[in-house]
Amino acid sequence: MKRTLALILVLALSVSLIAGCGKVNNGGASGTPAPQASDSATPAPSGSGAELALVTDLGTIDDKSFNQGSWEGLKKYATENNKTYQYYQPSEGTNAAYLEAIGLAVKGGAKVIVTPGFLFEVPVYEAQTKYPDVKFVLLDGEPHTEDYGTYKTEANTLCILYAEQEAGFMAGYAAVKDGFRKLGFMGGMAVPAVVRFGYGFLQGAEAAAKELGLAEGEVSVMYNYTGDFNAAPEKQAKAAGWYESGTEVIFACGGATGNSVMAAAEASKDKWVIGVDVDQYSESNTVISSAVKQLGNSVYQALEAYYGGKWDGGKTWVLDSKNDGVGIAMDNARWRTFSAADYATLYKAVQDGKYTINSASDIEIKDLGLKLVKVTEVAD
Amino acid sequence: MSTIYFLIQQTMFFTIPLMVVALGGMFSERSGVVNIALEGIMLMGGFCSIFFINQMQDTLSGQLLLILAILIAMASGAVFSLLHAYASINMKADQTISGTALNLLAPSLAIFMARMIQPSGVQQIAFNNTFRIAKVPVLGDIPVIGNMFFQNTYITTYLGVLILIVSAIVLFKTKFGLRLRACGEHPQAADSVGVSVYKIRYSGVIISGALGGLGGLIFIITTSTNYNASVAGYGFLALAVLIFGQWKPYKVAGAALFFGFMKTISATYSTIPWLQGLNLSGYFYKMIPYIATLIVLVFSSKKSQAPRAAGTPYDQGAR
Repeated sequence: MKRTLALILVLALSVSLIAGCGKVNNGGASGTPAPQASDSATPAPSGSGAELALVTDLGTIDDKSFNQGSWEGLKKYATENNKTYQYYQPSEGTNAAYLEAIGLAVKGGAKVIVTPGFLFEVPVYEAQTKYPDVKFVLLDGEPHTEDYGTYKTEANTLCILYAEQEAGFMAGYAAVKDGFRKLGFMGGMAVPAVVRFGYGFLQGAEAAAKELGLAEGEVSVMYNYTGDFNAAPEKQAKAAGWYESGTEVIFACGGATGNSVMAAAEASKDKWVIGVDVDQYSESNTVISSAVKQLGNSVYQALEAYYGGKWDGGKTWVLDSKNDGVGIAMDNARWRTFSAADYATLYKAVQDGKYTINSASDIEIKDLGLKLVKVTEVAD
Repeated sequence: MSTIYFLIQQTMFFTIPLMVVALGGMFSERSGVVNIALEGIMLMGGFCSIFFINQMQDTLSGQLLLILAILIAMASGAVFSLLHAYASINMKADQTISGTALNLLAPSLAIFMARMIQPSGVQQIAFNNTFRIAKVPVLGDIPVIGNMFFQNTYITTYLGVLILIVSAIVLFKTKFGLRLRACGEHPQAADSVGVSVYKIRYSGVIISGALGGLGGLIFIITTSTNYNASVAGYGFLALAVLIFGQWKPYKVAGAALFFGFMKTISATYSTIPWLQGLNLSGYFYKMIPYIATLIVLVFSSKKSQAPRAAGTPYDQGAR
C-alpha cells in the first residue's frame, strides 16, 4: 500500500516538474516574461530557439553587471527589429560546457551568438571553425587556443575590446579629486579586463594626486582580487575590515562581489562604493558612481552592422573614450564635489591623450611607475 | 581597541546563523533523523522571508518588519522540512538521499519562483536593510561590553542567544527533551514505554526546519543587499559545527563561535597589523576550522556523542 502511494507521489512530482520545465521554456524562451514577447509580435520561432542568442558567462543575465549589460543591448535590438532572441546559460564554467551551450544555440537556429567574457576566448576559437555559418560576437576577448599558442579571428567572428583602463582611470581620478584619500580596489578574478580596470584606477588616483600636489603616500589604495564573481559573506567581512581601518571608497569590480561590498558600506558611516560595467546607482545608496563600459551599445552596434550588411568579421573593435565606449556614470552620481563640468574636462583630456594610461594587464603593479600612490596588495 | 570591537561584531554576523542552524540540526539528529537538508532549508527560509520583506518594505520598516520576516522564515523552513520528515519517517527513505534531494531542489526552486513571481523577471530579490541597530539604548553605552555586543548589531543576534538558552533547557530539563533524546538513542525502548516515536521525530525535524529557515534569513540580512538563491554553503558548514560541538547546545555555540571567528580572521586579517605581521596566508585561517573538526573527529570517534539511532528509520514492526 505504502509502496503504491510512494510510487504515485513520485509520479505526480515528476509530472509537475516536467510541467514546470515546460513553463520555463515558454516563459523563458525569450528570457523575458511573456508580455514582452507578445508585445513585439515576434513570429514564432520554428524550433525552440531564436535567431539572436547570448551565452552567459559565469554570471546570470540579471547580474546587474557584465552579462546584463550585454543582454540588454541584444534585447533592445531584437525587440526593435522583431527578431527572436534567447539566452543560454552553460551548466558550469568550463570550455566544454561553454561549447555545449553554443552548440545548443546553433541547434536552436541562432544566426548571431553573443558571448560576453574573456572566458569565451577558447570556446569561440573552436566554435568559429565548427560553425562557419554562424556569426559570433565576442566581448572582452580574442579567440585563441588553450595554450595561447595561436590567435585567430575567423571572418565570422567579431571581437569587441574595451579600454577598461580609461574607465578605471576616470574613477580613480574622480575619487581623489572628490577628496578621498584612502581608496580600495576589490576585483573579481584577475582576468585582463578586471586588471585593466584596477590598473587604470591606480593610475587615475596617481594623476589626480599629482595635480593636487599631494605628498607621497597621502593617497593609499588597498588592492585585492577576490577570485570569483559571486557575493559571499567573506567578501562582506573583508570590505567591512577595509572600511573599518579607514578606507573611504572601494571600487568593486567583480559582478555580484559588489553586493557584498555594498552591504559592508551600508553598515558603516560615510563609506562609498564605485560600481562597475553598468550604472549601479540603484543597487545601493552607497554607490557613488560607476565605471561603465557601453556593453549594450556595442552589442547593438554589432547586430546593426550584421543586419545592415556591414558585418565586420575577423576584426577587433576597441571601444574607448574616443568613441564613447567607456566612462564613469555621472547622471546619478553621488560625488560630493566632483561636478559634471569636472567630468567633461577629464573626459576631454583622456580623449585627447593628455594622460598616458598604461593598458597592459600582464605586468606587476610596481611596473606602473606610481610615485605618489601607496598600494597595499592583499593576497588571496 | 576599535579593531577588536570590529572583529567581535563581525564574528557575530558569522556565528549567529551558524549556531542557529546547527542547533536546528541538533534537534533533528537528537530525535534520530539525520538532516543534511539544512542548506536547502536555509535557502527556502531566506527566499520566502526576503521576498516578504521585498513586498512589504514600502509599508513597513525596521524591527517590526524584521520580526514578521523572522516568523515567515521559520514557518517556511518548517513546511519545507516536512518533505524531509515525511520521506524519512513515514516512508523510511534513506535520510541522506532525501536530504540531498531537498538541497538540490531548493536553489533551483528559489530561482524559478523568483523569476516567475517578480515582474522584473530577475532571480535576485533586493531588500533595503533598515534593520541594523547602530547602538542599543542604555546597554550600548556600557564601556567595552557595550562596544562589543550592543553596537552595530541586529535583534537576530539576541534572538540567537535566546534560542541557545531555550534549546539547552528544552533538551535537558523538559519531558519533551528527554523523549526526544530517547528517540534518538533507542527508539524501540522509547516506544515500549508509550512514546510516539513518529510524533517526536516529526517535531524534531520541524524544529530544525524552523531554525534552519531562520538561519537563512539572518545570514542574508547581515551580509548582503539581495537574495540570490545562495547561502554560500553555510548549511553544510553548520553540520560541521554540529559535529564539532558533539550534539550539545553550549558546545555547538562554542564551535560556531570558533568557526565564525576564524572566518572573520581569514577575511579581514589584511587590515589587522599584528596579524599581518605573522605573515601567514589567508588560506591558513580558512583551513583551521576544518582541520580542527577532523582532529575532534579523530579523538572522539571512539566515544562519539552522536545520537545512536540517528540515520536509521524507525520500524515499529522490528521492535
